Amino acid sequence: MNAADLSEGTDAKGRGPRLLFYLRLVAAQLAMSTLTALQYRLGFWTEGLLGLLWSVIGIAPLFVAVDHLGAVEGWGRWELVVLTGCFTMLSGLFTALLQPALRASMTHILKGTLDYVLLRPADGLVLCLTCAFQPWHLVEVLGGLALVVAGLSLGEAEVTATGLLAGLVTGAAGLMALYAFGVLVLCASFRALQLQALTHVMEALMDFGRWPAQVFPPLLRLLFTFVIPLLVMTSYPAEALLGRLSWGTVAQLAAVSATLLVLARLAWVRSVRGYTSASS
Amino acid sequence: MTAAAAMVRVEGLCKRFSVPRREAGLRAALRALVRREYRVVEAVRDLEFSLAPGERVGFLGPNGAGKTTTLKMLAGLIVPSAGRVEVAGFTPSDRRPEFLRRVSLVMGQKRQLSWDLPAIDNFEFNRVVYEIDPVHYKRRLEELTALLDVGEVMRRPVRQLSLGERMKCELVAALLHGPQVLFLDEPTIGLDVSMQLGIREFIRRYNAEHGATVILTSHYMEDVAALCPRILVIDGGRLRFDGSIEALRRQIRPLRRVSVRAAALPDDPTAMGRVVLREGGRLVLDVAPERVPEVVGALVALPEAQDLAVHDAPLEEVMRALFGREEAADLGGAIGHAR
Repeated sequence: MNAADLSEGTDAKGRGPRLLFYLRLVAAQLAMSTLTALQYRLGFWTEGLLGLLWSVIGIAPLFVAVDHLGAVEGWGRWELVVLTGCFTMLSGLFTALLQPALRASMTHILKGTLDYVLLRPADGLVLCLTCAFQPWHLVEVLGGLALVVAGLSLGEAEVTATGLLAGLVTGAAGLMALYAFGVLVLCASFRALQLQALTHVMEALMDFGRWPAQVFPPLLRLLFTFVIPLLVMTSYPAEALLGRLSWGTVAQLAAVSATLLVLARLAWVRSVRGYTSASS
Repeated sequence: MTAAAAMVRVEGLCKRFSVPRREAGLRAALRALVRREYRVVEAVRDLEFSLAPGERVGFLGPNGAGKTTTLKMLAGLIVPSAGRVEVAGFTPSDRRPEFLRRVSLVMGQKRQLSWDLPAIDNFEFNRVVYEIDPVHYKRRLEELTALLDVGEVMRRPVRQLSLGERMKCELVAALLHGPQVLFLDEPTIGLDVSMQLGIREFIRRYNAEHGATVILTSHYMEDVAALCPRILVIDGGRLRFDGSIEALRRQIRPLRRVSVRAAALPDDPTAMGRVVLREGGRLVLDVAPERVPEVVGALVALPEAQDLAVHDAPLEEVMRALFGREEAADLGGAIGHAR
């Protein structure tokens, strides 16, 4: 074999569509994280137990309080349960997928091992956003989903196919906004190292998403919709599921998320071009 | 070498970094919080060279000379401030997947393998990332693991491997996709002598069998001397020498080192050459190459002469002399003509 056929087996004719490649890549990254979690048995079960415990701790007060909940700014008790479900799902996705990936990527930047990530023949951002995963935190997502189903079933709001579709679209927009915000935080760590604490700030900020948009004064509502779009992530998807959101608003929220995504992508490209690696 | 035939082509390559600086002490630290001063460091200045496919080339230079920065610009990790780089027909900083599939970087001080998993899981991940079809993957894995003797090692978690075993696994991970250009940044750092020899032998064999271009930086001169017929000396970000080690030696330390042990040494050996050591019955001289036969003849004739040896100056000494020279910049005249 010589240089001409060194890349044999990795040439273009053997490769499938890019979407399939990225699906396989993300699956392989998640598999690596799962294998890491399974590598240490005690750690695996402890993580699992803690994941369950956090889910129960997060949801239990709601069950205690549900009988005593009055209306909050036009939201009935079961509607608040739907909102809490949306929040719990998003929080679970954050702690299972985004937060560990951001922390691992920031560590890569700090130690200079981002070099290896950037040398792989795939989109560096996709590799960074899927490089770590805490599978047990997906329990929270299931818990949140159960709350949404319970809230919709037991509440008075009429559940329609259009409402569900609007909820899905708004939820997807919320998730995109969350990831875009995460990418901007990651890009900040290219300039200022040791910014892992920012992921905790993100986590703390997300707590505002527990509340309906209507409880915030207009200025904060604008801030949490267009600048730090926490309400796009939780309150608006809940409203959409409850059939209270117009398609015009859904489109606006999707536009906000898309704009954030474009900004995040531009910031990433700029950050990588300015990347100086760490000296060895 | 024609431009079209070159695997690596570098023209007027520069890299400038803006580095924060401050004086020592709390006051300066507080002042820097408000107003930080920056200084521009020219890490690489106006480099020009080209490498043919299959060449093994060593970058030599003191710490901070710009070797690793150059290597990282060639690999596409750092975007040059000025100049032009082409590797395997691509501009590295574009980081196109087609380019990244043709290169690989191994760094002795950083690892790509996941600490907690056996190396075999990492290899499998690379199979997906580089889209290596299963038949080729199996064949390459068998070939590389046999060459590096890591058949069992790769099944243990990376954290439990010795440094040498880990480096072997890093090499497997880097070569599974069959790169045409292999960048090696201090690959033998911290390894014991036998492991260094093993890694060197593997790299030489891999280059001979696969024709991959190898670019190496190392502080171990033996690595460079054993592996690289051609060296590029970089200092202060500039290319100071491009040629063979022999040519560098001839240029910097042309004298040959002659040593002997005898029952009685000559009264005035300075007539033969420069005396490096005269201790007990041992004499070490630096002798002009044209006078070596004459001096050897004289030393052999000494009473009970033994252990007579003639060496080139050690590479470390050559480098020390090179980087210590005031007139070192003049070496630039030798660039490209000293093979």
